[in-house]
Amino acid sequence: MSVLGVPILEGLYPSTMDLYPLEAKEFNRIHPFYENLRQKRFTTTKCKKCGSEPFPPRVVCPKCNSDDLEWVDLPTEGKVLRFTEEVAGVPLGFESPLIHALVDLGGGRKLISRVVNCKEGELKEGAAVKLAVFDIPPMIIEKKGVMAEAERVFFAFEPVKK
Amino acid sequence: MPDRKVCIIGGGMSKWGVREASIVDMTQEAAKDCFDDVPALKRADVDGLLFASSYCGRRSFQVNAAPVMAERIGLKPTSICTRVDTLCAGGSSGIILATGLIRSGMADIVMIAGGEKLYTPQRWETYYSELASIDHDWDGAQGIGLPPPFFSMTAQEHMKRYGTTKEQLSAVSVKNRRNGATNPKGHFQKAVTMEEVMAARPIAPPLGLFDCTPVTDGCAAVLLTHEDKAKELSDRPLVYIRGTAQATLHSMSMNWPGEHLADWLHLRTAAKKVYERARVGPGDIDVAQTHDCFTISEIIEMEDLGFCKKGEGGHFVESGQSDFGGEVPVNTDGGLLSCGHPFGATGIRQAREMLHQLQGRAIKQVEGAKIGLTHNLSGLNVEHTILIYGREP
Ligand SMILES: [Zn+2]
Repeated sequence: MSVLGVPILEGLYPSTMDLYPLEAKEFNRIHPFYENLRQKRFTTTKCKKCGSEPFPPRVVCPKCNSDDLEWVDLPTEGKVLRFTEEVAGVPLGFESPLIHALVDLGGGRKLISRVVNCKEGELKEGAAVKLAVFDIPPMIIEKKGVMAEAERVFFAFEPVKK
Repeated sequence: MPDRKVCIIGGGMSKWGVREASIVDMTQEAAKDCFDDVPALKRADVDGLLFASSYCGRRSFQVNAAPVMAERIGLKPTSICTRVDTLCAGGSSGIILATGLIRSGMADIVMIAGGEKLYTPQRWETYYSELASIDHDWDGAQGIGLPPPFFSMTAQEHMKRYGTTKEQLSAVSVKNRRNGATNPKGHFQKAVTMEEVMAARPIAPPLGLFDCTPVTDGCAAVLLTHEDKAKELSDRPLVYIRGTAQATLHSMSMNWPGEHLADWLHLRTAAKKVYERARVGPGDIDVAQTHDCFTISEIIEMEDLGFCKKGEGGHFVESGQSDFGGEVPVNTDGGLLSCGHPFGATGIRQAREMLHQLQGRAIKQVEGAKIGLTHNLSGLNVEHTILIYGREP
């Protein structure tokens, strides 16, 4: 008999260990969000029936149940309300200090985002930050027995340099 | 349809800590301790098992864990046998569900067991897996993980808005580690001084090492049944589940429901409902176990549970109002800060401590306690779960 190894030790891609979204259209109906990101646009879905613009994007409007939605742009600049610099217990895939901020995008929209391109001690409350888009490792999709790489981007915010 | 009164009749725990054991081992230990607590009960009489665990699927590669645990414990449930996952509140969710099933006559004697094996053979996987605890595609991908950064910002908000001090945060840790020092089942049996807490290495400032619950392996189990069966099985005072509530108003970092991060509207929403259902107010609570995942959490919980006014939680803790001899002793067995937090087991640990308090047999007893409250927050502060127990239904 032959004893086979643990598959991931043989170099196979385990999507259940992938910290990033499975963005490809084969796996995700909101893949336009990521395609828009690639164009440096920060977008969400707007309900054509009732006008609600929830974030993150949806495939069905949670207010009126319509599935007639369109993509709209959100602001790409905001202001830091609070921030934190995590120095211990940072997950693999991120570097210490791992900086996060509560960002006010205006119009009642606030979100917690990672802040990149920023050194420890550099960020201040009230600072202006803007959308940062960067490449992340591709996900590997099996198509008819062939492993194909699907390229991906993700986002954070970064200080606006004066 | 019957409307039966529901009692908690027994509780058990495995040893909690960094365990050289699997989740299946620790579940058996907790169930043994629980059956030892109710000697008159036979395994064959238990007709339900709810197993609360979030990470068995990821860190023990075991989904559909309830039948596995039933088989190992030696149960043959015929009314209900299922897993419950509400992360930090899983155990409490199991108790709420079991209460409904027993009250309505759909089950008679239900064991709620649960816990986690969080330490993996390589430590990176322990932390990395925490990215699954929150909204994976949006928050996990931002590296928010289990939430020290989120609670760091919450603490800053409370300090700036209400003048809460690092000493007041530390007072929570000093109290809970002192309470836990005599609890042999918890992760730590060692009190810490104010100086040690203040000087501890930073995790996400202002939160330091002793402001955060540790990563802990462990399991716990309790037994619930209806009033008549409870009288038959034990001569101890009856402890009733008087009211329950669970509120969730958002699920991701964009849609925070409160005015600011230290304003926990979802906790107040759950509190209002549970007090109505239990027909009591915050002033009637003799003892409480609240979710001290971080020191700042316990301070805000004192406020939004109604034990003190908004903004006065820091002073409430510092002045001893949440300690023995104060207004309402909180986390009498050490809480999460001393016992640790194997997510699915925590609500069950709290229920067991409440059973002991209301039966007058706790290790650190609140004299004459008649009404108790347990509380969990779960995930990236997305949900609040509260139960009220009492010596009267
Ligand atoms: Zn709509």
